[in-house]
Amino acid sequence: MDLLPLLHNTVCGGLAAAGFGVLFNVSFRGLPWCAASGALALALRTIALGAGWRLEAASFVAALLLGIVVQLLPSWIGVSRNALHVVGCIPLIPGGFTAKAILGLFAVTAQRPDTANEVLIAALENLLRALFTIGALGTGLALPIVVLRARSRRISRT
Amino acid sequence: MKAVKSLSGRSLQWDVRGIHGLERPSRNIKIAPEPLMQAETRARESLEEITDLALEFGRLSMEAGASARHVEDIAERVALGLGAERVDMSIGYCSLAVTISFGHEAITRICKVGPVGVNERLHGALSAAAARIERCEMTVTQARTELTSTLRECSRHADWLITLGVSVACAAFGRLMGIDWRGVGPIFLGAALVQIVRRGLALHNVNPFISAATAAFFGSALCGFGARWVGSPTAATNVIAPVLLLVPGVPLFNAQCDILEGRPSLGSARAVWAAVMLLFMTLGVWLARELLEGAR
Repeated sequence: MDLLPLLHNTVCGGLAAAGFGVLFNVSFRGLPWCAASGALALALRTIALGAGWRLEAASFVAALLLGIVVQLLPSWIGVSRNALHVVGCIPLIPGGFTAKAILGLFAVTAQRPDTANEVLIAALENLLRALFTIGALGTGLALPIVVLRARSRRISRT
Repeated sequence: MKAVKSLSGRSLQWDVRGIHGLERPSRNIKIAPEPLMQAETRARESLEEITDLALEFGRLSMEAGASARHVEDIAERVALGLGAERVDMSIGYCSLAVTISFGHEAITRICKVGPVGVNERLHGALSAAAARIERCEMTVTQARTELTSTLRECSRHADWLITLGVSVACAAFGRLMGIDWRGVGPIFLGAALVQIVRRGLALHNVNPFISAATAAFFGSALCGFGARWVGSPTAATNVIAPVLLLVPGVPLFNAQCDILEGRPSLGSARAVWAAVMLLFMTLGVWLARELLEGAR
């Protein structure tokens, strides 16, 4: 695997997560953790994509592993686990696909009939990829929360 | 009320945790007798105060972008910490309802939830305050003081810092989307304009969907013209990057969590809100692209 794209995506993921951390009013003490979560998520997804996985599967695995790592972090880090989940996964949200899909659907109405089919298929493809990826991200993130929370509840009851 | 109804004329035995968090005595402290009606009225007022405070904690955490589970958890901690026996809560998208019981007495209150944003620092501080109230067995007055000081300490980051943060984030997003280095500068400026316009419109209480479409239009147009000026080969994709800060990631995440945790109505409401936000955001981008193509 080429290290340069991995490094590039990791740094960009970290910057994006830290930037969104500021937008979400995360404290200064928590911002490095936000950057680390975004960098980890992007690194994992880049590695999975490099191994030939589809975007949806790579996003699912990245979100799942991020969710597990965040659940295992201690509570003294100064930022809630929920925030780290969200901020870390935001760089994985296929905003580009979503916007392209909706723009494509708008464009269908403006196209000549002979090219409308191609535009529609491209828009639907983008839409489905965006939907499946968002679903994979949400499920990958929610699984560790639901499973580990249920486990910690059982432990606290005993 | 258990404690009030055990009044037998001479003294009142406070059972388990005292009553309603007003003046919390230690177990089995004998207090001076008082007329039954007066004690019941005072007890009911205390229960009302607990309900109001729990509801306020719940409303603030909802407005700070907490998921339903966290909202319920925070309100429950406050109410139970102040002496309530049971808390039942219903969480809607625009309203919260809570019923708090103590013995045979129960009070139900509903409150309206304001615009839902994301404020992680406030959410964390409310959660910590609720834990302190639960742990330290505060009175209602002390708990309200705790809430006031929490709100005072949770200021937002400065506007310039937020603008800088989202600009850097969108520029990084642009690189992740495969935009060339020349296109990064216009994305940075476009995202800054989106944030400035959105903040300005929010201060004038403009509808968030209209605000998103307007901000997306100005940001995309600036970025598109900028990308064309610097000769970026990926100008068509560039216009999308500066508006990615408008993608409602937290509501989408909360929607999925809420649905998975057995609250499909709240989760669906959040998902619909996020979908409409995406639609308006795209409308702004589409208008900017039309403008760019018209000016070619």
